[in-house]
Amino acid sequence: MSTAEPVIVARDVYKVFVARGERRRRRAFLALHNVNLAIPRGRFVSFVGPSGCGKSTLLNMIAGLVRPTEGEIRYKHAPVTAVNTDVGYITQDDNLLPWRTLRENVELALEFRGVALVARRELSARYIQMVGLDGFEHHYPHELSGGMRKRAALIRTLIYDPDVILMDEPFGPLDAQTRVILQDELLKLWEGSGKTVVFVTHDLVEATALSDEIVLFSRAPGTIKQVYDVPLGRPRDVFRILAHPNFPAFFDRLWRDLKEEIMDVELGVS
Amino acid sequence: MGVREAAAPGRLLEPRGDRLLREVEQLERARDRQSRRNTTLGRLAFAVVFLGLWEVASGRFVDQFFVSKPSHIIASLWAMIIKEQLFYHLRFTIIEALVGYVIGAVAGLVLGFVLARSDLVYRIVEPFVVGFYGIPRIALAPLFILWFGIGITSKIAVAAVMVFFIVFINTIAGIRSAPVQLLQVARVMGASEWDLVRKVVFPAATPFIIAALQITVPQAMIGAIVGEFISSNRGVGHLISRAAGWLDTPGLFAGILALLVVVLLMNLGITSFGNYLMRWNPKHGNLRDIQ
Ligand SMILES: Nc1ncnc2c1ncn2[C@@H]1O[C@H](COP(=O)(O)OP(=O)(O)OP(=O)(O)O)[C@@H](O)[C@H]1O
Ligand SMILES: [Mg+2]
Repeated sequence: MSTAEPVIVARDVYKVFVARGERRRRRAFLALHNVNLAIPRGRFVSFVGPSGCGKSTLLNMIAGLVRPTEGEIRYKHAPVTAVNTDVGYITQDDNLLPWRTLRENVELALEFRGVALVARRELSARYIQMVGLDGFEHHYPHELSGGMRKRAALIRTLIYDPDVILMDEPFGPLDAQTRVILQDELLKLWEGSGKTVVFVTHDLVEATALSDEIVLFSRAPGTIKQVYDVPLGRPRDVFRILAHPNFPAFFDRLWRDLKEEIMDVELGVS
Repeated sequence: MGVREAAAPGRLLEPRGDRLLREVEQLERARDRQSRRNTTLGRLAFAVVFLGLWEVASGRFVDQFFVSKPSHIIASLWAMIIKEQLFYHLRFTIIEALVGYVIGAVAGLVLGFVLARSDLVYRIVEPFVVGFYGIPRIALAPLFILWFGIGITSKIAVAAVMVFFIVFINTIAGIRSAPVQLLQVARVMGASEWDLVRKVVFPAATPFIIAALQITVPQAMIGAIVGEFISSNRGVGHLISRAAGWLDTPGLFAGILALLVVVLLMNLGITSFGNYLMRWNPKHGNLRDIQ
């Protein structure tokens, strides 16, 4: 796809899970099979595909939280064998620690990394201001709105400057307006940063608006069905993405390909 | 046109907003004061009514021998302080309960942490723990007196056992309640094992631990008193059982009253400590907004 060297490579990855339900009913099942993928440095790549096809699982493998049953994930040329603290991980739930104020949450990773207090304060102040949360430093997560919590989750990952950011449906539970605003903020923070982003979403408009490449997964057991280059230039105006001349044709194609997977699932069930 | 109409009051909004902020702040403070005052007054009224009814009923509707009378109890308490060195005895009971409490709580916490962090160890010892927990712990008191003598040590041991199991079991439950995703995210951020325990696992377990620490305050007291009942020549438990031996009902109630005050004070301490640790929890926030 791209000439840039890959930061993340998946080679013949298979993942088998064993459901830990009743002991007698314990069944192994295939979550991912035959996954081959190279994600080039500095690109914004989205994963789309039917629910349960293994997108989050692949993300967890890149983060080193889950190990492939077979095959390997390589990160910057080395196989991932332990928790990958080089990446940033933003989950669907904001996962802020409820017992920490906004500022303490934003500084969490810096604490883990042994950054001194003064430097911590300085950095957190800058990032908090960057997303317009100044004035709320001493609020606990339950005293923030959903959008504010998402912003906090975003900057607490950006603050330690990971080369790669994994995002698992980060804007899923938000309302449509906050969502677009945050997409816009994310693009502004990302553009020119040289960071690689792997972004999981169910929203094809979101995927198209944000990404350089879109990776489409088949229904479970998941594998990569197709990889698309998004034919839109940069910088992008996410607020007017639908008006882009290349948008309709590309979106149609994406949706048609995804629909096959979803419809097949429905047929299989009924 | 719509724009101009909207903009005009918008400019006025700043001073109005500021005034409103101050007003609401004042109102809130006044309300706080009032609700604190109401609580205090309500408690006083409750105590007065309760003691008044007791005073009036005793000797008229109920035999005074069995229930005594608030005025007699106060007199008896006074006599206890002067003649029987109540504070001397109280000191022993408090030390027994407190030392037992601290030993039991710390042991429960530390052991709970160690066990819950290792799945295998936890599964191995779980049935034994539950088994020991099922023993009526008071029944261990005579055994401890056999082991440690009739001095202060045996009472401390009883108090500690009363506290230990509850703290221990709650700590394990609390630790196992830490959400996996929080742990995962912290790991990816670069948290060490010790970071995880201190900054994620322990705070997640605090609601459970605090509950255990609160429940066990009176348990420690019970342990100390029961130990004293069984055999001792010091402590409030000793005073109470002696008063019972003399059929001195006011003296008996006076002893109980002294214990009640001590337990209340200890509970106050642990509750405010718990509220401080739990300040992040919305349940401890202002409930008025929810109604
Ligand atoms: N820890 C686990 N133990 C057993 N099965 C698991 C585990 N994690 C995921 N699975 C299974 O693996 C499959 C893929 O899950 P995954 O969470 O990766 O899907 P997904 O593509 O992210 O779906 P969604 O879009 O709904 O989030 C699912 O069938 C799920 O039940
Ligand atoms: Mg998922």
